Amino acid sequence: MNDVIEQPGLWGNAWRQLRRQPLAMLCLAILVVYVGVWVYAEATFWSAKIRGVTPAYKISNYDQRNLSPSREHPLGTNFAGRDNLNQIVQGTRIAFEIGLLTSVIVIPLGFALGAVAGYFGRKVDTGVVYLYSVVDSVPGILLILAIAYVVRSAVDRSVAMQTVTRYVDSGLLAVCVGMGFTGWVGLCRLIRGEYFKHRDRQYVLAARSLGASHTAIMFRHIMPNVLHLIIINFSLRFPGLILTEAVLSYLGVGVRDEPSWGAMINDAKQRLWLGNWWELGGATLAMLFLVLALNIFGDALRDALDPKLRTAEAKTG
Amino acid sequence: MNLRFASAASLLAAFLWLAGVASAESILHGVGGDFKGFDPVDSGDVESADQISRVYEGLVEYHYLDRPYHVIPRLAAALPEIAPDGLTYTFRIRRGVRFPDDPCFPGGKGRELTAQDFVDSFQRVLDPRLQSQGDWIFVNHVRGAKAWVEHLNQNPSATTNAPVFDGFIATDRYTLEIRLAQPYPQLLWVLTMPYAFVVPREAVEYYGKDFRNHPVGTGPYRLVKWRRNYRIEFERNPFFSGQTYPTSGEAGDREAGLLADAGRPLPLLDRIIEYDIREFYTTWQMFLGGQLFSSGVNKDYFEKVITPELGLTPALTARGIQLIKAPSLSTYYIGFNMLDPVVGQSTDPAVNDRHRKLRQAFAAAIDVKKYCEVLTNNRNTPANSLLPPGVAGYTDAPYPYAFNRERAKQLLAEAGYPAGKDAKGNPLRLTMIMPGAGSTDARQAADFYVEQLRAIGVELEVQQLTFAEYLRRQHEGETQTFFAGWVIDYPDAQNFLQLFYGPNKCPGVNSSNYQNPEFDRLYEKIVSMNDSPERTAIYEQMVQLVIADTPWALMTYPLGYGLFQPWFKNYKHHAFPYANWKYYNVSPH
Repeated sequence: MNDVIEQPGLWGNAWRQLRRQPLAMLCLAILVVYVGVWVYAEATFWSAKIRGVTPAYKISNYDQRNLSPSREHPLGTNFAGRDNLNQIVQGTRIAFEIGLLTSVIVIPLGFALGAVAGYFGRKVDTGVVYLYSVVDSVPGILLILAIAYVVRSAVDRSVAMQTVTRYVDSGLLAVCVGMGFTGWVGLCRLIRGEYFKHRDRQYVLAARSLGASHTAIMFRHIMPNVLHLIIINFSLRFPGLILTEAVLSYLGVGVRDEPSWGAMINDAKQRLWLGNWWELGGATLAMLFLVLALNIFGDALRDALDPKLRTAEAKTG
Repeated sequence: MNLRFASAASLLAAFLWLAGVASAESILHGVGGDFKGFDPVDSGDVESADQISRVYEGLVEYHYLDRPYHVIPRLAAALPEIAPDGLTYTFRIRRGVRFPDDPCFPGGKGRELTAQDFVDSFQRVLDPRLQSQGDWIFVNHVRGAKAWVEHLNQNPSATTNAPVFDGFIATDRYTLEIRLAQPYPQLLWVLTMPYAFVVPREAVEYYGKDFRNHPVGTGPYRLVKWRRNYRIEFERNPFFSGQTYPTSGEAGDREAGLLADAGRPLPLLDRIIEYDIREFYTTWQMFLGGQLFSSGVNKDYFEKVITPELGLTPALTARGIQLIKAPSLSTYYIGFNMLDPVVGQSTDPAVNDRHRKLRQAFAAAIDVKKYCEVLTNNRNTPANSLLPPGVAGYTDAPYPYAFNRERAKQLLAEAGYPAGKDAKGNPLRLTMIMPGAGSTDARQAADFYVEQLRAIGVELEVQQLTFAEYLRRQHEGETQTFFAGWVIDYPDAQNFLQLFYGPNKCPGVNSSNYQNPEFDRLYEKIVSMNDSPERTAIYEQMVQLVIADTPWALMTYPLGYGLFQPWFKNYKHHAFPYANWKYYNVSPH
């Protein structure tokens, strides 16, 4: 008789834990709203792109510039007479695109380097550690600025790159590449440590003795055991990326032709002294709620997925 | 005098002055911008020219107060003797002018200025290895200059005196001869420009590549400390001599208080300190706090500072702040690179015609009036000619490609891009460069242009570059279209027209690489003509030729709004203001 009890898996367990935390669930709800806004913004962007028309959020109305909030424009209008609320909605799209595009660079890079270093150790490890120590020793924002400038001027000059920038804003691309090539260090360290831990475990030794190749061990056997770390890392890194983009756009290096939150704050500062707080306030609050929700939910997710990393429990004993 | 940023020494001096013991140091605090450095061969932009003119000077300069503008001797003892054929100018150099003490001189002691210094300095402007943007002031005019430049181009390691070049000759210690290939009526005007300022050979050799950071000039001020992108400080050059404040000027100058310092030795200020402030809010607060002598008016501050009648608000008037509005004799435009395969000129007449229509469509697509209203608070006005009003050759004929969206669409269709799509249905994409990387105002302006072109179906990509990178790309012709402005260097339209002369193409000043044999023929005719109604008529004809070909889409004529503190003295608007710092003064406040 088979009396194996159905055990909830890693994810099922995590979900049960999360559901017990009302704050985490509230944050999840906020995130769902943001994702909804993001999907809506992407839809308006792409439908306009495909139809070859100017999306509504880009149409200016110079006779209605810098208006105060009204029923028609709940957050007023900006320097070009565009509705600020609409700009914030599109800014959500930019924020998510930044997070995703950067992760496309950060995750493969950080994972591959960390896995190789941790699994092989010795000289390979020394090389990777040297590399990330160098990258990490340069102040982040400066390195990002430098890379973003290089990417930007490369994009401006190369015809091939300009086909790419028809679909992705060149400033956005520059920022993502800049943050991508500086942001992998944390993930790389984490994965390297995990691979160190796993490479001498019994299941790995078993696989090795059965003749599995290094690649198979690294990706088929060990990877599933560390995959949740990537998700945790991603959810905790995401808010940082959004904030960094805002800083870069504020400094004028970020997104160029799309309404990012940083660019909105940059525009808004010009008229803040006149008491026009709504553009700045709107963009800042949009950023605040997203970053806060991501942080709290990311924390909860980490606790749920990897009890060993749980900070609260460690403190209480 | 301003105490807020004063050093301990000047605070003490101010205290003594208050006590009636000694006169205080007079210090001017201002706001300056980024510039390239102190090398006169590299003075092609307004900011660099301004800074260089504090430290260096030339043979002649403009009279500060008299109008119309005329030239007076500065390092020359008198205006030159001109040979009857107009081909030789003989300058006597003023005796006893000294370069200041500097480690570059033997024993650290400055030496007397001689005629040879001018020969060396003028040759530097021509030397192709230094890539001065100012070579146009001499290259086509001075005898043998072209051949000499050509020789150096082919033998980059040659010394400057290897081929004999006798365009500039020091016939004795104090006599300089400039020999011309053909009459050059603008020679005295160009000699007022920073390109023609005199530098000591010792400093060039001693400092080498670092020369631009170590100015050693005869000018009214000397550099104390320069912290790039933050602060620059000058003090009175103790070796400056031989000049006093003018004792006469235009009618009304005396009443305006501009002759109060008549006859006093120059410079009047002891110290000039400037801050490089990027954020207008900071500039404004410092100005209101009395820490800066002047301020511009940013577009977002305009309505709080300027009344609807374009005067100063009562609150500022009550503080004695003066508003000075002045046109700057400049034209803003969007230039097209005529070598570009999409917008440029072509040897095939049919293609050439279509490309011209494309440029005209571009010009007609931009609502310049709206631009003036939205981005300049109507301070700028739409341009209707290459030349700004007030320059001989300007006419008020309406601009044939002024904003008209329907016409722009029609021209675009005639150019082969109906609704902005080419024969294969691909949208037309154009690229424009402009300066102002990171600037909010520049980004908003770029946004405006993109939107205007989009309205006729053209996708414009605007690249905002740092000023240095922008100048480099313009200089080397790496452009398709570029937003630019030209401010006239001397009161003669020839200064604008040279921008379209074929042989001046990149890396020369003809950044559009415009070629028109008919225009070139007329240009070669006018360069040696003196001012006359006949020459003005040819100028008008040349302007029309260029406008019809549209290498530039005309944008605006700017009108500067400057605010000045009541204690800032002797300011008179000058179209060529570079040498004017020595005349400014501050009263105790």
